[in-house]
Amino acid sequence: MKKRILIGFTFLLSLGAWATAQAADPYGKYDSPVTINIGNRIDPTGKFPEGDSPENNVYTRYAKDTFNIIVKDVWQSSYADYDRKLNLAIASNDLPDAMVVNDAQLRQMLKADQLQDLTDVYAKYAGPLLKAAWAKTNGTADKAVTFNGKIMAIPGITVPDDGYTLAWIRKDWLDKLGLKVPQSLDDLEKVAKAFIDKNPGNLPKGTTIGIGGPQSGGQLYGDFLFHSTNNNFAFDPIFSAMGATPGYWIAGKDGKAVYGSIQPETKAALAKLADFYKKGLIDPEMSVRKDATEGIIAGQVGIFFGPWWHGYWPFPDAMKQNPNANWQAYAVPLNASGKWAPHSGNSHTQFLVVRKGYAHPEAAIKLQNGLMRDQFTFNVEATRIENYPIRTVIGMPDDLLVARKAALDVLMGKKKIEDFQGGDYRSYPYLLDDIKSLLLVKKPPFDNFDIQYWDTTSPKWPRIYSIIVGGAPYSNLSFKVSQLPFYSSTKTIETKWASLKKMEDETFVNIILGGKPLSAFDEFVTKWKAQGGDTITAEVRQELGQ
Amino acid sequence: MRNRGLSKHYYLMLLPGFAWLLLFSILPMFGLVMAFQDYNPGQGVLGSPWVGWDNFQYLLELDDSRTIFFNTVYISVLKILGNLLVPLVFALLLNELRLGFLKKSIQTIAYLPHFLSWVILGGIMLDLFSLHGPVNHLLSAFGVRPVSFFGRADLFPGLAVGSDVWKEFGYNAIFYLAALTGISESLYESASIDGATRWQQLWTVTLPGISTTIVLLTVLSLGNVLNAGFDQIFNLYNPIVYSTGDIVDTWVYRSGLINLQYSLATAAGLIKSFVGFLLIVLAYFLADKYAQYRIF
Repeated sequence: MKKRILIGFTFLLSLGAWATAQAADPYGKYDSPVTINIGNRIDPTGKFPEGDSPENNVYTRYAKDTFNIIVKDVWQSSYADYDRKLNLAIASNDLPDAMVVNDAQLRQMLKADQLQDLTDVYAKYAGPLLKAAWAKTNGTADKAVTFNGKIMAIPGITVPDDGYTLAWIRKDWLDKLGLKVPQSLDDLEKVAKAFIDKNPGNLPKGTTIGIGGPQSGGQLYGDFLFHSTNNNFAFDPIFSAMGATPGYWIAGKDGKAVYGSIQPETKAALAKLADFYKKGLIDPEMSVRKDATEGIIAGQVGIFFGPWWHGYWPFPDAMKQNPNANWQAYAVPLNASGKWAPHSGNSHTQFLVVRKGYAHPEAAIKLQNGLMRDQFTFNVEATRIENYPIRTVIGMPDDLLVARKAALDVLMGKKKIEDFQGGDYRSYPYLLDDIKSLLLVKKPPFDNFDIQYWDTTSPKWPRIYSIIVGGAPYSNLSFKVSQLPFYSSTKTIETKWASLKKMEDETFVNIILGGKPLSAFDEFVTKWKAQGGDTITAEVRQELGQ
Repeated sequence: MRNRGLSKHYYLMLLPGFAWLLLFSILPMFGLVMAFQDYNPGQGVLGSPWVGWDNFQYLLELDDSRTIFFNTVYISVLKILGNLLVPLVFALLLNELRLGFLKKSIQTIAYLPHFLSWVILGGIMLDLFSLHGPVNHLLSAFGVRPVSFFGRADLFPGLAVGSDVWKEFGYNAIFYLAALTGISESLYESASIDGATRWQQLWTVTLPGISTTIVLLTVLSLGNVLNAGFDQIFNLYNPIVYSTGDIVDTWVYRSGLINLQYSLATAAGLIKSFVGFLLIVLAYFLADKYAQYRIF
């Protein structure tokens, strides 16, 4: 009898363990359908295969088939309007079940007590890929989403490479004019001038643009709060070359945090840019133009600044117009001591959050698990990956470096495709596919990466070209980033930053365009300090433990 | 009995208008209490903590406030003047035309832009005035160096006012044209028998005949002094022209919906509405006094 009970008990125990194991399977399928309401970001001009829609496509069917999760759009908005639409949802406390938010929205929702605590759900349901990427961040992921010891969001994890701004230059123009790749800022000026004067693109008179600039409402440089990474068509490298890091918090002379935009180096860099603009080296329509990519696609621009991934956008469109545009990336211009000293950025700018009170917070995490495990098997050509429900970009922080090294090793014959199966490489779900695509995209010789040695029409070209050419400039460089790792908000930033930043943007763009004299900078600094800047500086120092 | 049936039918036609007013103007007024709170969406309008006049005090400290209120009044006063004078001159000129067909076609063409939204017209304006656009092309024929029109803070108010007047003058002229048809032909006949020239007829018959309409339109536009036209400015402006182009409504939009400062934005909107309300009351009494126009 006793034995029987014992056996029964053990059986029950193991049944219980089996049941929890079942329930906590990161990739487990629900027995009965679970509905998740989302606010969906859609591309209004994007196309779907016949019969599909933002609410019924290969990814929503994947969610249904794999997890028995039914995805419903409570609202849809374009990418441009998403933040505004979400802000309205937050303000009216009428939230979807799960959504992707930015840092300011995350904080606003925390303050309003609108967020579900995800601590337990993360522990139980986060997939191995998500956990591996999280662990590789050296604690920044934890720091970004842990409040009072609780995990309140799943952070997006992007490669730090998104933060470095490179110089993309038309190498075919350089070659045609017999010019070398510019190293110093003076070299860059000479190259831009030569592009305009000698017109290597055979363009109608007056339409060559030496250095591309931002579009209307675009940034002049990245900033710590909203645009710390993926900043393009701006002037970050010119600022960096002059030792300035506007928009970010940097270490002052005494080592304590100061705001980069109010430093004398920034003033000097603005004077330089104003000089460039006056000489016609920078796009004369900068900050007014509706779309900064126009000139690049039309083949009018010779130099522009941006991160490694421009092979994805806008180069595919540029190639259609001008297949010989040999866009190459360089880690220039160098600063006075001959070093490349870029700023980097925040790897966590997106956050996946769940509405407080939603019965299945784990469903949101399961969707991410599925995405991370299976994304490279999706046909992203037919349906863009952006349509994956509540897609949050989460990857290994060293994804780009590993992928680049692997690709080069295979191209040079040092390694074979089989070498990348299994082991640690399992955490890089794209890697095998990348290497297999290599030979479809790259034409010999394998050590020359000029545009004529690529099949630019291949759907795999954007990624491989971005990895190999966009990742090239700094892969062998040792460099130090110029800013302090502060990318968040303080009490006074929440209330006063908007008006301070507005003053900064307006002053700086007008100094460059010549609408205001350089002395407007000093006036700006005085006002910035008086109108809340000094308080914010004190708060930031406190946050950084100084 | 018949009369009452008729009025019922009119009231019914008013219903959609009233529903709109109720939903979009009256009900949202309850949200104004946010101006006196530190609004927290989780706690809602009823539960958010009260902060008294804090938001207003901070608004007054901001450099921005002065700029945006000045810009608003500056742009809208210019618009009001332009929108009164240009249509008047246009209506008078049109009135002098004797060819009915020509008159009708000109009028139709002139008021077409009124029906286009600023989203569309904004794009057209930006293209027209861009560095390689038609306007600069024309200017370069006269040897003028290309100007980046929407990249110049000093030019922005002029462009905003000019384009608004261009868009609306045809439509606004309708009020004057209607008033002009009300002037009896016999007055013109007797004037010409007395030997008055066309010019003299204009000053002694036409203008006095429509003076009530002119006064009425002027006075009623007072209520709009703080409405500089969100749709238009929003579609035309950029950070370069903030100093002359940022108006109360665009600022409220950015603070409230972009920067999540709900209470501050509401406070600015409330000040605007309050001053606007005073101006409307003033306009009402002036309209009664000078144009004998009353509602109540």
